[in-house]
Amino acid sequence: MNFTIAKTLDEALAAVAAGARPVAGGSDLVVGARQGKAQLPDAVVAIDRIQPLGNIDTTSDGLRIGALVTHARLEAEPVIVERYTALADASALVGSPSTRNVGTLGGNVMNASPAMDTGAPLLVLGADVELQSTTGSRRIAIADLWTAPGRTSAEPGELCVAIHLPTRPPRSGSAYVRLEYRRAMEIAVVGASASVVLDADGAVAAMAIALTAVAPTIVAVRGVETFLGRQIDASLFADVAALASEQAVPISDVRASEGYRKHCIGVMARRAVDAAVRRAGGESIGVPVNRSLGIGAAS
Amino acid sequence: MTAATKPRFIRADGPDKVTGSGRYTADLTLTGMLSAKFLYAGIAHARITKLDVTAARAIPGVMAVMTADDVLDVRFGPFVQDRRLFARDVVRFEGEIVAAVAATTAAIAQQAVDAIVVEYDALPLVTDLESALGGDAPLVHADWASYGAADALVRDRNDASFSSISKGDVEAGLAGADHVITSRYVADGSHAAPIEPRAVVAQWEGNKVTIWTSTQVPFDARAGVCETLGMPANRVRIIVPHLGGGFGGKCGFHYEAHVAALAKVAKRPVRLVFSRREEFVAPDRRREGMVIDITTGVRNDGSITARKAWIAIDNGAYTADSGFFPQLAAMHVSGPYRIPNLDVAAHLVYTNHQPSGSVRAPTAPQACWAVESHTDEIAAALGMDPVEFRRKNAVDTGVEGPSGQTYGEIGVQQCIEEATKLVGYGRSLPEDEAIGVAIGWWPSFAVPSGAYIKIDGDGSGQIITGAQECGTGSVMTLRQLAAEELGMDPENFELIYQDTSAAPYDMGATGSQTLFNNGRAVVAAAGQIAEQLKALAAEHLEASPADILLADGQAHVAGTPGSSVSIVELAGIASGGELLIGHGSGAPPSAPPLVGSSCVGDVGMASFVAPQFSCHAVRIRLDRDTGVVRVLEVGAAHDSGTIINETGALGQIQGGVMMGIGQALTEGTVYGDDSRQRNAALLEYKLQTCADSPAIHTHFVQIATPDAGPRGAKGLAEAPNVATAAAISNALAKLLGKPVRQLPMTAERVWQTMSNGQP
Amino acid sequence: MTISISLNVNGTDYPVAVDAGRNLVSVLRTEIGLTGTKEGCDDCECGACMVLIDGRPVNSCSYLAAQAVDRAITTIEGVMVGDTLHPLQQALLDEGGVQCGFCTPGMIMSATALLSRNASPTEEEVRIGLSGNLCRCTGYVKILAAVQRAAEEAG
Repeated sequence: MNFTIAKTLDEALAAVAAGARPVAGGSDLVVGARQGKAQLPDAVVAIDRIQPLGNIDTTSDGLRIGALVTHARLEAEPVIVERYTALADASALVGSPSTRNVGTLGGNVMNASPAMDTGAPLLVLGADVELQSTTGSRRIAIADLWTAPGRTSAEPGELCVAIHLPTRPPRSGSAYVRLEYRRAMEIAVVGASASVVLDADGAVAAMAIALTAVAPTIVAVRGVETFLGRQIDASLFADVAALASEQAVPISDVRASEGYRKHCIGVMARRAVDAAVRRAGGESIGVPVNRSLGIGAAS
Repeated sequence: MTAATKPRFIRADGPDKVTGSGRYTADLTLTGMLSAKFLYAGIAHARITKLDVTAARAIPGVMAVMTADDVLDVRFGPFVQDRRLFARDVVRFEGEIVAAVAATTAAIAQQAVDAIVVEYDALPLVTDLESALGGDAPLVHADWASYGAADALVRDRNDASFSSISKGDVEAGLAGADHVITSRYVADGSHAAPIEPRAVVAQWEGNKVTIWTSTQVPFDARAGVCETLGMPANRVRIIVPHLGGGFGGKCGFHYEAHVAALAKVAKRPVRLVFSRREEFVAPDRRREGMVIDITTGVRNDGSITARKAWIAIDNGAYTADSGFFPQLAAMHVSGPYRIPNLDVAAHLVYTNHQPSGSVRAPTAPQACWAVESHTDEIAAALGMDPVEFRRKNAVDTGVEGPSGQTYGEIGVQQCIEEATKLVGYGRSLPEDEAIGVAIGWWPSFAVPSGAYIKIDGDGSGQIITGAQECGTGSVMTLRQLAAEELGMDPENFELIYQDTSAAPYDMGATGSQTLFNNGRAVVAAAGQIAEQLKALAAEHLEASPADILLADGQAHVAGTPGSSVSIVELAGIASGGELLIGHGSGAPPSAPPLVGSSCVGDVGMASFVAPQFSCHAVRIRLDRDTGVVRVLEVGAAHDSGTIINETGALGQIQGGVMMGIGQALTEGTVYGDDSRQRNAALLEYKLQTCADSPAIHTHFVQIATPDAGPRGAKGLAEAPNVATAAAISNALAKLLGKPVRQLPMTAERVWQTMSNGQP
Repeated sequence: MTISISLNVNGTDYPVAVDAGRNLVSVLRTEIGLTGTKEGCDDCECGACMVLIDGRPVNSCSYLAAQAVDRAITTIEGVMVGDTLHPLQQALLDEGGVQCGFCTPGMIMSATALLSRNASPTEEEVRIGLSGNLCRCTGYVKILAAVQRAAEEAG
């Protein structure tokens, strides 16, 4: 394996253009190779020292999160916790303190795992991905990035340099919850994220829900616009749960059966919407929701 | 526990361990050392049609490649001689070793393993315990009848060991009952999962081999090497560096002979270090899956009239130390109860799964889970409080137990009182919380054991013991016993241990037996030195040896203040004459008698020497939407006799409870249709984390049990693992209105039980 | 590809020539000879290999040695202050939080990182801070007590 450390973005882009695999923390690469899932690539370029990629900047249309921002930073960063709370919820649940410390948002997004925790929050928050290559850069909606487990629509030579999140409207809230068999060191068996905007009367003005680990990629729940104008009540939550369960196409594996996943995804969607609504209404629910509301085993 | 202000016991090996200077087996490197790798079957039942290592041997850097053709053709096993070092003709589980390689690097060794050509014809899989016992089931061992085996074992085809315990007239007892309750419980297998994966290093000098290995039982490991490589015990030296946990998983004889054989052929030292996956898949030491049918008759007054039970235990492909499991399981399914009429039959069933072996209290957590869940079903049928039912039916001092043993002073009733008190049993709780209670028992194992002690001329001592430390602190506690016998300070003693060529025999860190048996040996050895010191002091102080007391580092004349001499001075005198050397073993207590019962396949497990008792009361919370259970609080009361080292004892309770929580909720082996493990990794086989651990309150019931070990101590390390899963089950059944009949009681199984009554 | 790099471990620079694909834990344990860092799982699931890189906890089993160039690596061997045990080490001994000891180095590294960011953590914060370090012996009770004791004594 050929290994280089890029000190600048240009160096990184040149290496990626030449076929090198970019790594930030590198955990997935090393673990994958050791477990025999994937050979180490012929060439690797470490991008973790490119300082500008570690920035979080406010922009005219929202927030730009550099690809190297770690989960540990996201779970504590005030702007994320206050305005993009679902992303903080998800970041706080990833692996363990050390994996949150090493793992980056860009790495997580580009791995395109259907079980990635930050994916559903990014989807409901309307994230764009900024891809850059030696020939230029482009922004695509994150929904268009993931094409299959471990696959993205990024072209060879393109490096994810940032995630863009649009400005949050007033009376909005978001949350991410997942099923956990133990309170730490978990991977999402199923998870759900919701973003909700309430109107002045407390009815639903906007809603988005996305689901983790129930399809080949992170998926948005379709048809949530039918909830617009609905008051927040038990029937809304029941409808949310039913819609999410209905659209989930999970597999059966060692972590859970298809039937249990379909059931639990409804529960998670309902709980995510509930927490998002409460946050939209001004209630302070600590990050992550799982731990502050005692969801699943996480009390 | 709150932080104590009193001085605490500090382990002698503690400073090594907190500084990183302590050496574990995988930390050792020898000049010229090679790396070993194994080729595993990877298929659960098949005939080997081709095995060709030519290409592997040709790879530069490969120094040895071995198969069954390269070692003596020896079948071994402590109960049934059904296994070889390397597969010959047939493989019977996925982790069976087909070949071994030693090479200059681990990568080359792996390359060589990958270059071995092996072809198989698949044979029918045996996985279901009930059908495996049928007359037409495929055989896991076609030649079972010709195998050598322990005389006591009753064997038949796939039934590797059958035991029964019978007493009275069960049918009459059931006929006379007001209620007859029948239950089936099914437990999956699980793993010991010590955090240190095992490692072995072997080096030859002439015709002698030294093997450093992460075993809990160095003398067993030595015996295995001697048997399979055809060597006398005095040419095999087993040394255990620090051992990174065992929990039974590192009992038995594992891979020491493979590595020694490779080192002999390669003429270089060889090191084997397991990956986590190997740790899950290969050793013959996983906790056994079980199917348990229990029928109990009770009268309206709550008394038990009879119990009938049938147990099938998953032996896996080979019989490790599991030959005694059926009788032990039969005792646990009987339970520590007053049962006048009993008939329990238990089978140890060959399958194409990984072999089972002693993991912390083998058979007990699963059997206790079944019988104690069943007990709450009985109480519910009677409309009786389940704790009250236990008070009424549990054994007690002077009472006859299910197998016809009448107990001396025991503390099971006190355990029930104290454990329920610790968590406030009976108080009102939120609707999603409940407290479950279960009782359990466990024998102390009385076996031979030896130790030497010497005191050098400067008054410092060494305890040279065959005992093995696996983390419990039992060996560390031996210093305390020697010091008390000799009126010295524990800090005056260093421990020389875990070396079969230095010390006399001990069974090892197994069966909770270290303090019980090796403590006896150390006390005896120290007693010899005490006699020597008293004789020297008597001469020095012109007194009678009978009047000399050893205390505070001095030999005093009783009743004559000021007349004393220091032990250091006496040691100096001895160094110029008869040296201060003690040796001890002592006679282990014999098994208490059984009256009125009969046992088929009797391996001595129906009589419990110095039995230990426990009661666990556990408060849980249930997420009714998902079936996820969280343990909030545990009360654990234990009668393990006198507690000599409270810090160490609490550690055993807390760790055992936590392991029990894992077994109850998240730890279970999942097999695919191909009989291979599907969750052989720590992400999918979920140990409890620091974020999951509940408050654990402990009470020790300390009473004088007959036949106890030194100072009245009984065993301890396994007992805390017995009743936790059962108590969780009973709490859960209260919330669900019915028990979850499969172990582990995973969230999905809880949800299934809630939603449709299955499983 | 073998690369020649220098790793700074516990304040000392070590020149090493290693394959670029090597993980940090194996370089620490073999080339550099510091065996206090343990390997329990090789996929970030047990925490026995925890070290600090620039003061933050990292599973060294899943981190390329080459990526640690120009960073400060701290292992268990670098925790003692001269010949004196670090308060966490002493507290683990005093509380009885050490049993088999195999998780202990990793546990100490995680706890060190936690206390350096948060000098007086709540019990829940300690639980989460140590949640990447599996222990099979203790049930975590005495380890939690030790970390809190070390925090109290430092505070």
